[in-house]
This record gives sequence, C-alpha cells and structure tokens, in this order.
Amino acid sequence: MAPPIPEATPELTVGVIMAIALFLAVSILLGFLMRKKAKGFEEWLVGHGDLGPLVTGFALVASYLSGWAIFGNAGLGYVYGWSGSWLIGTTCVMGMALCLVIGYRMRRYVALGARTVPEMLRVRFESRLVQALAGLAMIILLIVYSVGQYKAMATVWTITTGTPFYGSLVATAILILVYLAVGGYTGTQWVSGFQGVLLTVVGWALGIATLVWAGGPTKIAESIGTQLFIKPGGAQTEIPLGDYTLPLPPLEGLAFPGVDYIGVTAAIFMFLFMATGFPHNIARFLGARKITKREYWMMLLILIVGGLTPLWIGVVGFSARAVWGGALMVEEYKPMYGDSAAVYASISAGGVPLASLFAASVFAAAVASLAGMVMIMATNITRDLIHNAFPKASPKKLLALTKVMLVPFIAIPLWWTFTSPPPILSEFMAGSAVAQAGIFFFVVGVSMYWKRATKWGATAATVYGLIITFFHPNAYGKLVGLYHWGYWALVLMFGSALVYVLTSLLTKPLPENKLNILFPERNR
Amino acid sequence: MVNLLVEKRRRKLSVKLMSVLIAVVTVCVILVPVIAYFSGGWFAYWGHALLAIFFSVVVVLIRTRYCWEED
Repeated sequence: MAPPIPEATPELTVGVIMAIALFLAVSILLGFLMRKKAKGFEEWLVGHGDLGPLVTGFALVASYLSGWAIFGNAGLGYVYGWSGSWLIGTTCVMGMALCLVIGYRMRRYVALGARTVPEMLRVRFESRLVQALAGLAMIILLIVYSVGQYKAMATVWTITTGTPFYGSLVATAILILVYLAVGGYTGTQWVSGFQGVLLTVVGWALGIATLVWAGGPTKIAESIGTQLFIKPGGAQTEIPLGDYTLPLPPLEGLAFPGVDYIGVTAAIFMFLFMATGFPHNIARFLGARKITKREYWMMLLILIVGGLTPLWIGVVGFSARAVWGGALMVEEYKPMYGDSAAVYASISAGGVPLASLFAASVFAAAVASLAGMVMIMATNITRDLIHNAFPKASPKKLLALTKVMLVPFIAIPLWWTFTSPPPILSEFMAGSAVAQAGIFFFVVGVSMYWKRATKWGATAATVYGLIITFFHPNAYGKLVGLYHWGYWALVLMFGSALVYVLTSLLTKPLPENKLNILFPERNR
Repeated sequence: MVNLLVEKRRRKLSVKLMSVLIAVVTVCVILVPVIAYFSGGWFAYWGHALLAIFFSVVVVLIRTRYCWEED
C-alpha cells in the first residue's frame, strides 16, 4: 500500500526554519568575510580575479541550478513521465561543458575594464547601444525567470509550514529582502560556491533516497508505463506516460516541448546553448583567475557531478508518480500541483532531516538566484542604462539608486506570481531560457571568438530574439498561428543565429588594430 | 627544412584529429533523440547523461589539447 501524502508537522516546520537559518548564517558569514576584502563596487562585482577552479566550478553549478533544476524538475517527471526528461535536461552537462570552454575567455574582458556581461559587450563592440540593449533584454528575460523562483520557494514554504500559498509568496519576498539586507549576496562567488556544494549533495541524496523509497528503478519504470497523463486540475486523459514523447492534443498541447521530436530537438539545442547564454552563468568567469589545464579538468569534474543533480531531482518526480499516481494533480493542490511532488517525496522518503535540508536547498537555489537576478536587473538599470547615458553620474548616487531599484525588481515578479502562478514552473521558465540561449549564446559566447562579429549583428540578433520571445505559444504566438513550442524555439534560436551572422557579414567590424587587442595571437 | 616539414605534418595531423573529435561530439548530440526513440525508460534517461559526459570530456579535450590559450 502506498504511503499517505504527508502533512506539515510542528517538527517539520521547526526543522525547515532551522535549516534555512543555518544556510543564511553561513551565507552571511561568507558574505561578511568577502565584503571586508572588497575595496569598492567594482571589486565587489568581480572580486580580485583570483578565484580558483573549485569555487568557480561550484559557483557555476549553483548559478545553473535554479528553482527549475533543483525543484521544478521533480514536477516535470511527476506530471509528464519520461517525456518530462527533455525539460529536466538529461543532456545539460553538454551545455555546461560548452560554457566552460567558451566562458573562460570572459577573463580577457575583465582585463580590459568589463565588470558585467553587458559591459563585456561594450568592450567587445565599442558600443554603448549594444550594452544598453543587452541590459534591457536581461531585465525582461530575468523577470520571467524570477517568477519560477518565487513559485519554487513559496511551494516549499506552503507545504512545510502549512502557510497558505499566497502568504508563502509574501514570506519568500521578505526572505529575499532579509537575504539582500544582511549581505548574503555580497560574497557572490564564495556564497555561490557553498550553495553549489549544498545543492549537489542534497540533490543526489534526495534522488537516491526516493529511488529506494519508491521500490527501485524497475518498479518505478513499470508504474510509469501503466499511467496516463492528468491535466492540472485533475482531468484524466487517455495519453500514456510511458514514452519519451507525449502526444498532447492540439492546439494547446503543442506548447509542451515533449509533444513530438520537433519539440525534443529544440529542447536539446536549448540545453546546448543556455548554460552559455545565461548571463548570470557566464558571468562566473569574470572573477576567475588563470587556470591550468589540469584545473580545467577539475572544473569539468565538478560540472559533471553538479550537472547530474537535475537528473536526480527528475528521479524524485518519477518516484513520487510511481508511489502516489496522479493524486497531486487535483484541484486540492492548486496552484502547486505536480510541482509539490519534490517536497512531499522528501518528507515521506527522508523524514524531517532530509526534508529540512531539501527546503534549505530550494531556498538556496530559488531565493539566492532570485536575489542574484534582482541585483543584476538593478545593476542593468544603473550601470548599463543610466551610467551608460550619463557617464559622469556620481558613483554614490548610482549605488544608492541600485539599492532603490531592488524594490521594483522584487515586486514585479512577486505580483506576477501572485496574479497568475504558472501551473508547471519549469515549463514556464523554459520560455525565458530559450530566449536567453538564442540571444546571448551568440551575442556573448560566439562574439568572443568570432572576429567578424559586429555591433550591428549583435544588435539585430538581440532585437530579433526579444521580438520572437513575445510570440511564445502561451503568450502572443497564437495571434500569428505559432502554437508549437518546438517551432517557436527553433525559429528563435536559429533565427537569432542567422540574423547575427548575416548582419555581421553585411556590416563593418572594428578596425584591425582594435581587434588585435581583443584577439591577440594565440600562444600554445 | 626537415623540421619545417615535420611541423607541417604535425599540424595537418592535429587538424585531422580535431575534425574527428568535432564529428564525435556532433554524433553525441544526434544520438540523444535516437536513443530515446529506440530504447526509452531508464536506459535512455541515464544513457543521455553518459552521452553528455562523453561529449563534455571530448570538448574539454579539444579545448585543452588543440585550442589552449594562455593570458
């Protein structure tokens, strides 16, 4: 007989609060220690450029593992069965490895004065327009990405403390403010490195624990093979979950990436490009020191171990589905639905200790990512837009304005999640991920290696990518007949690439003497 | 003169090897949906992870062996 779906207990609530408090304390301590070292705003952004492979590797893991990977993946496995694997990101290590081989060159731009990703673009193209546009694109896409983080943390808080979902959303916003106010974000790389270790250890432990709890891999596979897809709300369908594609009925169903192999192909390319395309990811190399070949391999090992964490969280979802069937898809669990699978499974499989650690991990992934994104968006406004337009603006005023801008960037995604929480958060976040992959993989990643790239190529690709983003099948795509997620994602990513290459080839690159500074002769 | 010829041959060989490795990573990506279609279940799930690990080892090998850059 299946174990009952657990409920919040006072012990669990205390355990969760203690685990989160402990995580906050360690983050603050690290932030405080590193803040003492940083002499100014610029140094605070990139540190001393002396971070080795361990910290950089785990920081990269932490910035990659947001609420989507550490929490939402269980929802995908639970709701969609094997076809959820495409958004779980079974191949995400490929993208992380590409980020490792491409992103290391960011260091070159730090030496030339860049402190953020848009600033790197200003240096690369000698263009304030490209910097401002990249800042604007980041704001739009990161707001969408932040919504998912809110839902992740609010779901955990709701289930473990018994607080209503909307109250949990407010609690999450307060926690972010506390996190930012006490300087948890100050130690950026070190705090992120610590988070990377925590997320990896807890993710693996939870995945293995639930695999055993559900009766082992064979039993899970057999159970998923016999189950049918249930819509959020509880409506049963006749579509089996046992395959790697889920032929959901058109037109609404076409918005799911795993609906057919067109969507699957797009999802594979999204995972190839997005680790490099995420500005908050590739920015991790801004603080890295020079590393040896041996250290490069060490970083790869960290990325492989950390990069398998999302797969273990997917296993949590499969296990929960095998044990409880589609019980979490009914109206009673609105608006959390299948996204609640990870929390319930962590309580049932690991008791208070594992559930508390998992809650702290989701807090680390969601709230810290959210805080990081809020900081990036606020900096986009002050550094990439205002300082860009008024270079003589006082640094003190800019810093004060950055702090003020934190409030709207905390409030906007909060309001969004409050008014229309996404039913499956990872599916929602994938929309923003495609856009970040399609725009920034080329504009940032490829531009560091392709001498012929021009500012007009980068500008055109960014504008194109942003426009197509709004035609997501669940946004305005329906107005132009774009119902299929796969076609939309392919048109966005490869369209951006095409626009970037063609426009670059048709326009003039930087003069040779300037390019020689950015692309010095390679020493072997 | 002999040294130059040897160097030229070595470079040619390097380019050939790199091309082979690039072909290998391309095949890794192509195999992902193929494995899902023909096998499914846990085999495809962890098979994808293994393919991704192999892919990442090869791209880092290309980077460190053929495209290494010093500051």
